[in-house]
Parts: sequence; structure tokens; C-alpha cells
Amino acid sequence: MGEKPPSPLPLSPGGRGVGGEGGQCYELNLIDTPGHVDFNYEVSRSLAACEGAILLVDASQGVQAQTVANAYLAMENDLTIVPVLNKIDMPIARPDEVIAEMEHAVGVSAAEVLRVSAKSGLGIDELFKAIIERIPPPPGDPMAPLTALVYNSHFDTFKGVVVYVRVMDGVLRKGQRIRLMRGATEHEVAELGQFRPAPTACNVLSAGQVGYFMAQIKTIADVHIGDTVTDAANPTDTPLTGYKEPKPMVYSGLYPVENKDFEELRESLAKLRLNDSSFVFQPEVSEGLGFGFRCGFLGMLHREIIQQRLERDSELELVQTAPNVTYEVLTRKGEILAIDNPQKVPEAGQIEEFREPIVRISFLLPAANIGDLMQLCSERRGIYVRTEYLSPTRAILVYEMPLAEVIYDLYDKLKSVTHGYGTMDYEFLGYRPADLVRLDVLVHHKRVDALSTIVHRATADRRGRRLLKKLREEIDRHLFEVILQAAIGSRIIARESIAPMKKNVTAKCYGGDITRKRKLWAKQAAGKKRMKQVGQVDIPQEAFLAVLETDQ
Amino acid sequence: MRSSSDRPPAWLWPRAAYVHVPFCAHRCSYCDFAIAVGQDHLIELYLDALSAELATLGTPEPVQTIFLGGGTPTYLSAAQLARLLGDVTRWLSAEPGHEFTVEANPGTLDADKVVVLASHGVTRVSLGAQSFHPHLLRALERDHAPQDVSRAVEIVRKRIGQISLDLIFGVPEQTEGEWQDDLERALGLGPDHVSTYGLTYEKGTPLWKRRGRGEVVALGEEQELALYARGIDTLEAAGFEHYEISNFALPGRRSRHNQVYWANEAYFGFGMGAARYLNGRRELNTRSLKGYLQRALAGESTTFQSEELSPEERARETMALQLRRKEGIGRAAFRAQTGYDLDALAGPAIARHVELGLLGDDGGHVFLTRRGKYVADALIERLL
Repeated sequence: MGEKPPSPLPLSPGGRGVGGEGGQCYELNLIDTPGHVDFNYEVSRSLAACEGAILLVDASQGVQAQTVANAYLAMENDLTIVPVLNKIDMPIARPDEVIAEMEHAVGVSAAEVLRVSAKSGLGIDELFKAIIERIPPPPGDPMAPLTALVYNSHFDTFKGVVVYVRVMDGVLRKGQRIRLMRGATEHEVAELGQFRPAPTACNVLSAGQVGYFMAQIKTIADVHIGDTVTDAANPTDTPLTGYKEPKPMVYSGLYPVENKDFEELRESLAKLRLNDSSFVFQPEVSEGLGFGFRCGFLGMLHREIIQQRLERDSELELVQTAPNVTYEVLTRKGEILAIDNPQKVPEAGQIEEFREPIVRISFLLPAANIGDLMQLCSERRGIYVRTEYLSPTRAILVYEMPLAEVIYDLYDKLKSVTHGYGTMDYEFLGYRPADLVRLDVLVHHKRVDALSTIVHRATADRRGRRLLKKLREEIDRHLFEVILQAAIGSRIIARESIAPMKKNVTAKCYGGDITRKRKLWAKQAAGKKRMKQVGQVDIPQEAFLAVLETDQ
Repeated sequence: MRSSSDRPPAWLWPRAAYVHVPFCAHRCSYCDFAIAVGQDHLIELYLDALSAELATLGTPEPVQTIFLGGGTPTYLSAAQLARLLGDVTRWLSAEPGHEFTVEANPGTLDADKVVVLASHGVTRVSLGAQSFHPHLLRALERDHAPQDVSRAVEIVRKRIGQISLDLIFGVPEQTEGEWQDDLERALGLGPDHVSTYGLTYEKGTPLWKRRGRGEVVALGEEQELALYARGIDTLEAAGFEHYEISNFALPGRRSRHNQVYWANEAYFGFGMGAARYLNGRRELNTRSLKGYLQRALAGESTTFQSEELSPEERARETMALQLRRKEGIGRAAFRAQTGYDLDALAGPAIARHVELGLLGDDGGHVFLTRRGKYVADALIERLL
């Protein structure tokens, strides 16, 4: 019985036994990985638990930016890559072209590429054969002390934390007393299983196998991804290297519309964190919005997912501020400050250097759209790195760009420039100095801290003007003229005003009208309640996101 | 019969009564009132039902004001009117110096009906003139002609002391010149009282639908404001007092009945769709003609909606209504009526709007300034 655990890209986590050539039985252990750039760290974790990777490419869509990024991740982890072209049975499939792209983009040879249709089963036997032949069996000694890598976990309301592991050495048994080496906590394995692909209980996971266990662990914070599981009585001397903790890249403020909901919001956020340790939050106070939380996300998709879960799980009315990346400020005194909120930007006089995060971003797109994309990238302060043609019609374009210019809507813009055919992926390069300033917004002469943003000085005027225009649309007319101003420090760079309401009076108010009117007042008052009042101005939630949409 | 003095205060127990006559020849384009068109065969039955509802009072109630509205009360024949007024005055006994208003359509009023009205103690006729321009009357789907108004005024004046004219402004395509002309022609008829109503597009009305289909275009806010302001200027110059958002009167000629509503005082209501306010409870009769007839004739309650407000809600409602009046809210009277201190309810908001020039405050009263009247709804909403 030989064992071969490779790691394919995307399927549900699984392991299954198959009958091989000549009656030999092989067990293939599979780990699924997500495709979005926000969750790249999750791909890295999974790859570290594998010997090989199935690189799946859609025969009609062709190579995506993520394909390239993930292939390189696999190579960095010394994994054997099994390139697979899927959906070859589709009428719009263009296998030869796509295989040529794969050759160019990730350096596989055309002869290695397997052509399959997961839907019809075409080429699946050949795929299994290739996995068995090409991917080396996992090393590992079942007789050695237990060493297992925690590559993921999730929280189950009934069972507590479910820990996903790859056993490197030794065996993991039901009822075994185990130790999580990082926190040195000990637990007893209550349930153990493999993904086949549905979770299926078993009694033993041995070196080379992938599976899950539950051990009555109450909170996900007790389980560190990348940690080593070992036997409490017979521990290993050498814990596994583990992973780098993913760092939040994007921050935004989250405020309850009603201050009294603060505690409830805290509880909801804590609950979300139970299942997602990459999401962080801490209380903060805004003059305009009151008490709320600064929340850190891996990226914009992650932020959206968290927001959707919050909306689904609680009935709280929330105001969300525009997201920002984490900046760094080197002060005159030589300190380095991490700026995850525009409010934390020190006085201009104290700043020696203002730094922003830079990413290397790769676009994979139809060659016809290169010109438009280059234009877009230069507007976003991108620095051109290189172009690679995968074929006469498809190219990879690489730029270095401030992350701040990427997170807002670059993906949407890419999709619109390429009519949906472009994809992108990026990796963090580091911090670089830039001429950055804090752009403030004054509503009726009062600074609204939640509307402040950090922008490049060169774009500050334009952004300020656009932001005010957008705010002007979002804020209703009042009984007085509302003045909107954008400022850098004490310098006003843009001004708009919202004309006061001129006529707003119902003609008739007699006996039968009174109840109706009162209900209308109550309805309007309820609408007002969903707004944040700054000074005498009611600001709707949408206005706080106006900063996001200033590039139209 | 009881006299005024041994009754609870006017905000709890009514000295005012409203009676509704829903019948109309047809529905005007802007109308969303409780009316009945093409149901003339039910008029006699309706009078029976109304009589039965009035009889639920048990004993005649002394009142100071009666308002007979519609619908079109004068759509009834002289004989039907006589019967109706007979029943009304049997159960609602007018105290000395009373005011008794009847709404009338210039097209359906004739000398016989005026005689009937006068002989039953009617003191005031409110004529729905709306406009003197045929194309505007057409847009509103009013079925009278401009000259009907002067004819009606003439015959009313022979028998009845006070005349009020209703005018509508803000009709699609109406110009300032046309509005000025309407105002002047109305003043030329020598009314005691004028109401100017800004046209409202009520949901579901023919006019509302037409606007939705783009067949008519509502006037802009600036235009409406200009018309409203012109109405105020013209009527004030003619000696009329602008005593409520939409109402103007010569000295001593205010509508006493309507002031009951704006004071948030109590009133009786009889007839289909009629509202009443008794002992702090608001009630609404059913708006269905058949439902009203069946229930009233069977001696059952005609009430279809009923609500009682908390003391604070009542106080806030009082604030909202009284602010529509020229004199606004009197602090002492407000406290006596509601048990609440005006400034405790809305002091900071009042001060803010005084500062904005939208409210006046002379210490005793808080009232709308001219600019405040233009935005009264938004302002009231912020005080609540």
C-alpha cells in the first residue's frame, strides 16, 4: 500500500482511496484552496502541507492571474506541478491556445498538460495515473513521535473548533492526549476523520495523511494555523516551521448608528472572529460617529464577506467608513508609527517621512486592452515593470503600485477595461516613501473625522473636489445652506454648498389629515435616525463611503 | 341640555362637529377624499344612516361650530339638503353666536338650496372656486365654469353672511400672471375669507398617475414658492390676515371651526370617512359607502380606525398643529392644554430655528416667520 498526498487546486477538501494499476491501492489526500488574492495566505498554508499541486486551468477562460501566482507559490514550495486543462468538452474551449499560454506563463511543457472534463469524466483516469506517477509519496515516519501541521480550522457551533491537519510523522489516534506546541495546551482527541470528500470519521491518521480532529477546543484563537500538533506523552523535539501570520492590509471604521448598540456590535464582531482569526478589531472613538471599532481585513473581498456576515447575523444599523491601507510614518524623533486610521497621522511638522505599502501587481489580459490598462495604471501612480506575451492575443502586464490605489476599485476598473476578460493578482513588496497628506472634510465648518482620507499630494485637489461633489449628492437639503469644504491642514482646497430647502409645506391640515401627517412625521423621523448627525447636519451612511467612489 | 361651562375643556370634549356628505358628480383629478361618484341612488339611504349615527349621541350636543363638508354637500337636492340639515341641527344644537359652514360647489348651488341653508342656521359658505381660468379648471377636472363663481357668490350673499373662496395654485403650466389674476378676481368678489391651497399630488389620484406617466409636469419648487409668496403678498395687501399656512381672513372672519383642528382641540365627526377626536382618542369612520350604510343602519359602530396617543405624543402633535397658526404656540396655553413645558419638549430645537430666522419667539409665543412658513413641514419634523 503506497500513499501519495498531493494537493490540487480547487475542489472541496478531501482524501479518497482509488484502485491503481495492477491492483495496487493508493490513497490520495487532497486539500482545496481558494482562488482570490485576499486569501493567498491560505493557499500558501495548504501548499506547505503538500507534495504536489494540480494546476487547473479552464480551457475556455485560459490562464488567469491567480493561476500564475499560485503556480509560482507551488514552485517556491518545491511542489511537483501537474498541469491540467479542464472543461475541454465545452464548445468554446480553445485547448491548444490555452496550453500555449500555460507554457509561456508558468513554464510547463505542453506534453505534461492533461486534458480533462471533470463534468463528463473525460481524462480523469489519466489524471489519477499522472498524480500517482509524478507526485512523490509523502516522506514521514509513522514510528516517529507525532508531528502534524495545522493548516486550517473552523468553528462548529456544536462541536467547537475543528482542526485541519497534515500528519508529517507518527500517528494521530482517537482518544490520544495531544499538545498544541505554540500555546502548550493539551487536549484529548474526541473525534478524528478524513475528507472523503465529506468528513468521515476514522480512528487513526498516519504520517502522510490529511484529515481533521476535534478535541473540545472552545475558541479558534487557541488554535494557531501553522502550529504543530504532537503527542503529549511522547512529544517531538522539533516543531514545524509554521506560517507567517497574515496581516490585515485594509482597515475601516465600523460604527453603530445608535451609540447604545456598541456592546452588541462588539459581541457580533467577536463572534465573527471566532471563525476568522485574520479579521481583527479594536474600539475607537470618532468625534463625528461616536464609539465604534477599527476593523482590519486581508483585503476588500474579505471586508465585504465580513460585512455581509454582520448584516446577516445581526440587525444592527451600521455606518462604515471608507477603507484605508496601513501607512507608516517616520517621525522627526526617529519613531516609526503604523497608521491604520487617518486620524493617527501626526502634525505635518513631526513627519520625517510618510510611507505607503507598495504591491507588485500582475494583470493577465487581452493584448488589445494593454493601452487602456496602462493608462489606468499610470493614473494610479503605477510604475511599469514589464509585459510578457503569452500568445499574440494575451499578455501579462506587471506594475508596482501603491496598495491604496489597488484596493478601492481597480479590480472593477480592470473588468470594465477588459470586458471581463482581465484578471489580476498582487503581492506585497514593502513600504516606500511618498508625498502623502491627510485630506479632511468639513461639513458646515466642522471637521468630520470619519471622512478624512490619506491621499497623494498630487491628486489631493482633484480628489477633494470629487469627494465634495459626491457628498453633495448624498446629503439631503437642510433648512439652511450646508457648506462642504475639503482641506489639507488649514488650507481649504475645495468648497461646495447644498442650497437650503425652499418650499416644504403641505397645504391642507384638517381633522382627517392629522393622523396621516403624524405617521408621516414618525416615518421621516425614523429615516433621520438612521443618519449620523454632525453639528446640525444629517449625514446618511452612504456619504461615509463617498470617498470610495471619487474616480468616476 | 348641558351648557358649555359644565363640560370638560375644549381639547377633551368637542364644541365643534364635522359632518360629511360624500356624493359628487365626478372625481376631480387631484381628489383623494372619501367621496362617492355614481351612487346617487344611495343618497336617501345615506341620509338615513347619517341620522342614525347622529342619534347615537343620545341627547343633543351643544356646539359652537358645525362644518358640513364633502364630497359636495350642494350636490344634494334642496329637499335632501333640508332633510340633512334638519337631522344635523336636531342633534347638534348651535349655541348663540355659532358658526355653521357648508362647502359648496359653484356649479351645483342654486337659490333654492341657499334658502334651505339659511333657514337652518348656516352662517358661512365655502365655495370651491379653485381658479378663474378655464384651462386650469380643466386640468383640475372641475366641472364648473368661471362665471358660476360670481353667480354663486351673488345668491349666497343675499341670505348668508360669510363667504370663503378656495383657490388652488401650483397647477401644471400655471403662470404667476394667471395666479395673480385668480387672486384679484377672487378679491373682486368681496370674500370674507380665502384659502389658497398648493396643489398636492396625492398618491393614486388621476393627476398623480398622469404625472407618473409624464403627461403633466409638476411645477418646480422655486415656481411653487413664488406662487405661494405672491398669494400671501396679494391677500395681505388686501387686508387679509394670513392666520394659517393656507388660510386668510378679514379681521373677525377666520374659520372658527378649522381653528379647532389647528389648536388640536376636540371635535365630533359624522358620516362616511369622517374623523373625530374625543377625550384624546382619534377615530376615523369607514371610507366605504356600503360599509358605512350597513353599519350605521344596523346601529353598529361606524368606526374603522381608533387610536389613543400617550400624553407626550399628544403634546408633540399639539405643537406641530399649533405651529401652523399665525399666533403659533402660546407657552402658557400649551402647558395648560398638554401638561408639558414647550421648552422642555423642544427648547434647543426652537432656539436653533429662531437663530436660522425660521421661527419667531416673543417669550409668550413661538411662531413661524415668513420663511418658516415656506418650509413648515420640514421645520415641524425637526421640532418633534
